[in-house]
Amino acid sequence: MKRRQWLGGACAQCAALCAGSVFAQEHAPSSWIAPERFAKPDPASDEGGLWAMMDREERRLRRSPFVIHDVVLHDYLQGIACKLAGTHCADVRVYAVRTPFFNASMAPNGMLQVWSGLLLRVENEAQLAAVLGHEIGHYMRRHTLDSLRDSKSRSAFATFLAAFGVVGLVGQMATLASAFGFTRDQEREADSIGLTLMRDAGYDPREASKIWDNLRVESAAAPGGDPLKSSPMFATHPPSEERSRTLARLAEDATGGFLGEIEYADKVAGLRFALLEDEIKRGQYGETLVLFDRMVQRAPERSDLLYFRGEAHRLRAKDGDLDAAMVDLRRATELGNEPAQVHRSLGYIHQKFAQSPEASAEFTRYIELAPNAADADLIRTYISEGKT
Amino acid sequence: MPRFLVCVLTSVLVGCAAVSKVDTGETLVKNRLAIQVATPWNKFERGQTDNTTTWTVEGITVDALQFYVGIKDGELIAPTPSDRKGIEPLAFKAAMQPADVVALFQNLLTRDGSSFTLDKLEATEFVGTRGFRFEYSLLRKVDDVRLRGVAYGAVRNGELFVINYSAPRLAFFPKHAGEVEALARSARVKG
Repeated sequence: MKRRQWLGGACAQCAALCAGSVFAQEHAPSSWIAPERFAKPDPASDEGGLWAMMDREERRLRRSPFVIHDVVLHDYLQGIACKLAGTHCADVRVYAVRTPFFNASMAPNGMLQVWSGLLLRVENEAQLAAVLGHEIGHYMRRHTLDSLRDSKSRSAFATFLAAFGVVGLVGQMATLASAFGFTRDQEREADSIGLTLMRDAGYDPREASKIWDNLRVESAAAPGGDPLKSSPMFATHPPSEERSRTLARLAEDATGGFLGEIEYADKVAGLRFALLEDEIKRGQYGETLVLFDRMVQRAPERSDLLYFRGEAHRLRAKDGDLDAAMVDLRRATELGNEPAQVHRSLGYIHQKFAQSPEASAEFTRYIELAPNAADADLIRTYISEGKT
Repeated sequence: MPRFLVCVLTSVLVGCAAVSKVDTGETLVKNRLAIQVATPWNKFERGQTDNTTTWTVEGITVDALQFYVGIKDGELIAPTPSDRKGIEPLAFKAAMQPADVVALFQNLLTRDGSSFTLDKLEATEFVGTRGFRFEYSLLRKVDDVRLRGVAYGAVRNGELFVINYSAPRLAFFPKHAGEVEALARSARVKG
């Protein structure tokens, strides 16, 4: 176990979106008023110590190769956070992090991380705002400090500090969540505040519950056991149907609001192919196919999405998968502007069916389109063998 | 004492106890894979990320040479020490093509959020049969270290054999890559 994994616990907002199974706060706290900006705490206090650790971790994060250095995306995320955080805007710093899990976290010093798996899954700006609003809710209510002062967490915190010292802590969200998970009441409160912030910023609050509906369907496709254990978001507090139901109920009086589907798609467009590649590399094809089905349903004419769904089927290779892959890949070529990899995937499927001429033709097309691909040498071997 | 600290200390102690020396000369890995070793290595019965036999020169957190020997159709390539529910099992299928095997290892190496990039994939001979060789880069999630890796693999009589080496890219990988290549080329299956 890495020291960073343990210390990660102090950044407990990673569990921020991990809903408790009891989630019913019946109404948004209309009387709730955002607190004034926080002054930096006394370094000698427990909160000051926590901030100091988070400041140190943030310095490390800034240098991390996992941070996505995309100015357009960064400014966009920061702008959304500012709309939600109001007067706290200057204290919230957003970092997009390339990690293909659905996760967001916020440290008590204002460091807010958004993982790329989340960026791939939300469908519009309003859904993203729902997640960020929840995180900012934890921040405004200083839930991490409450957790630190809780006797159980304090004991765990002191133990691993003694054992491992003060080092970086961003790495492993699941472990830290187990040490510093929020209570269900805190999650309930953050959700409620998040919805209020979202509404006040002009977003359609009805989008918040859709995130959890989508995730629940996706997680249900994971193999065996408790599928929600597969996500670091759900390490300690599995989301429940009740959560999305409650969020929907809290938003039921809403009549509209900003969705920002086009705006969101535009801002992540440059990253999308890489995010889809990262998703497929996870090898969790059941969950991935649910996600890709949803994406294709929303944009059926996108040849890149058809490629990724076809490739997920090809790699899973269960009953009917190769046929399903073939349908998507052929459709991608019909639509045109398909990624070169479509032809490689078609070549592999033909190869599996011992259709050598067809395989060679597709492999040849792939090499024409991507002569410097990492696997070009192997593919050229297949082409040359097909000719003999 | 909290349970997590007990677990950590136990893991450390178990890991320490399992190390042994690999001498030069011919060595048999898992009673099947014979390889010629030119310089001594340290051997752990399992690695950091899975239960596979792992050799190291610099230390198990730095460089790792792992052996996946005689994995049969349907078997997991490497049950991880803390397999979680809800995770797809990494099972080898005898019908897999080289790219499918690479994808399997890519899945294994990215389970913790690390980032894998395939740098090269080519056909080559391995364990006396037609096989493949791939190079990759890995950005390790837990500590942001950039690793390079090289692996040889082949499916022989329906069984999978893979040797995989990874180390930090700047100093340790170049230092040992040549030796690993020679070691992989010497590999032969017995039985």
